[in-house]
Amino acid sequence: MELFADINWALIAPILFIQVILLVIAVIDLIKIEKTNGPKWVWAIVILMVNIIGPILYFVIGRRNQ
Amino acid sequence: MKQWFTLLNKEFLEMARNYKWIWMPITFILLGVMDPLTTYYLPEILNSVGGLPEGAIFEMPEPSAQEVFIMSLGQYQMIGILIIALSMMATVAGERKSGVAQLILVKPVSYFSYITSKWAAALILIVVSLFLGMLASWYYTGVLFEFIPFGTFMESFGLYSLWLILVLSFVILCSAMFMQPVAAGMVALVTVFISTIIGGSFQHLLEWSPTQLLPYVSERLITEKWPEHVWPATGITLTMTVLFVLLAIYIFKRKELAD
Amino acid sequence: MPLVTVENLEKSFKDLRVIKGLNFQLENGKCVALIGANGAGKTTTLKMLSGLLRPTKGKISFAGEKQGGDHRRLIGYLPQHPVFHDWMTAREFLEYVGKLSGLPTKKAKERSAELLELVGIADAKNRRIGKFSGGMKQRLGIAQAIIHRPKLIMLDEPVSALDPFGRREVLELLEKLKKEATVLFSTHILNDAEEVCESILFLHNGEIIESGTMDEFREKYHQSKIDLVFSQEASSFLKTLSKHQQIDSIQMEGNKASIYTENLKAVKEVILTLAAKENWPLNKYEIGSISLEDVFMKVVQK
Repeated sequence: MELFADINWALIAPILFIQVILLVIAVIDLIKIEKTNGPKWVWAIVILMVNIIGPILYFVIGRRNQ
Repeated sequence: MKQWFTLLNKEFLEMARNYKWIWMPITFILLGVMDPLTTYYLPEILNSVGGLPEGAIFEMPEPSAQEVFIMSLGQYQMIGILIIALSMMATVAGERKSGVAQLILVKPVSYFSYITSKWAAALILIVVSLFLGMLASWYYTGVLFEFIPFGTFMESFGLYSLWLILVLSFVILCSAMFMQPVAAGMVALVTVFISTIIGGSFQHLLEWSPTQLLPYVSERLITEKWPEHVWPATGITLTMTVLFVLLAIYIFKRKELAD
Repeated sequence: MPLVTVENLEKSFKDLRVIKGLNFQLENGKCVALIGANGAGKTTTLKMLSGLLRPTKGKISFAGEKQGGDHRRLIGYLPQHPVFHDWMTAREFLEYVGKLSGLPTKKAKERSAELLELVGIADAKNRRIGKFSGGMKQRLGIAQAIIHRPKLIMLDEPVSALDPFGRREVLELLEKLKKEATVLFSTHILNDAEEVCESILFLHNGEIIESGTMDEFREKYHQSKIDLVFSQEASSFLKTLSKHQQIDSIQMEGNKASIYTENLKAVKEVILTLAAKENWPLNKYEIGSISLEDVFMKVVQK
């Protein structure tokens, strides 16, 4: 557990924080949106399971405009 | 001019409603801090995993702050461009495909304003996102390695953003050219990536090519001198940006908005 | 004085000639119905007038305007299937379109509120358009078309997608619009045209095959119909009748027969005389006028 002691949490915490924001907004949007490209439940899994990249992937290709 | 701001406002409102103003900056920030963090912690991570046999010496030359910062730019060069193309490919094509463009363009809306307002809105979003991302990268690199002079950072941001603005302008040109957003995005991506590969392979022949801006930014960071051909390359980048936007307007005007 | 003059208007898509030389004028303050079957070229014609399509040949000129200039501020257009920015609210969209049409912000707000009221969707003004029903979208579509008080309002099949209730309301709305502007609307339902319009343009296969005022049209295709119902097969009685000059056509179906004529008086006498002489086993004898749908078919078949 030496690693955890070494980590500079002042640097990591803000990153974790904005990552959570991204996740929360992706989830809110997925709930509100009517249609996505591909099934909604797949995107729910992608957003929740794939760390960082999941929500980004959802916004870039999963979200359907209009 | 009033009409242009009405159109720009609509673009900003749309970007707020579909959360682009939140996820784009966050994504660019995450891309920016990824390399400083992983490079710094990589040896420790490997050690703690304990995959190394007893007695094996894990040698890895510590990269310089400049090298780490350049690695971050490499992220924007791949994933950043991908995100720009995929998130902006529908900006014109999507409105034409869905049919909204018909309602808008039977109003006395100038084609110039229609295209340039979209371009300006996307440009502002991307430049702001890139700035925040590069700033985060600069700060994390500074804390974990060494601080690059802020002036040098600003110069690299300025030059590199010109390259991404050119990419954006090309994406918008493709979006005006094709009715299908996906076609626009793919053509834009393939063209940009092929040009960077060609630019990289024939560096000595294509010294004024916009694709050299990233290598020149890197050179500037490491040698602290301006590369010889950086200003002609910058000039050509700006000229091509203007040409792409004008061409987009021209093509869009000539296209019929039929179903 | 005509507001719009169209001369030799043609449109081809690749090698396909869709519109084959139209000539017509739209009078100021009149309502004109563009009638034709699906595929006759109504939408293409409207899109050329609105500037969304470029004519292959021919001229469209607006009174007092430079030929070939930008007439878009004079025009309000409602496509057949209007598409909006689904993420905007109805009020936002109207204000946006109003400002694009050149209204100052304050004016755009006032006019939007007024129109939301007029088309009857004021209750839903702050709802996202994505949640609107087809009928509500149609109303919003009309509102956006007239926000800048255009001189020419063009509506592409504004009522065909609506239920009878909505249809009535939109037709009443058109009645109001007529007072402010020239209205051109396309439809394949003649009764709708008849209800609000003074004139018609009859489009078939990209050509105008009939045009004029509604009265002229009705006069020209005025036909009467005599319905007969026998207690036996009708055809055996009507053989002699079919050769009669005044009769245009006879339709027979089992015991029933319909006789079409433009000279009702003469034919009526002939039939009654024959019926008395030959002692027809008639169950029913009725004189009716033919529907506009029949006229439609007749014009198209010519």
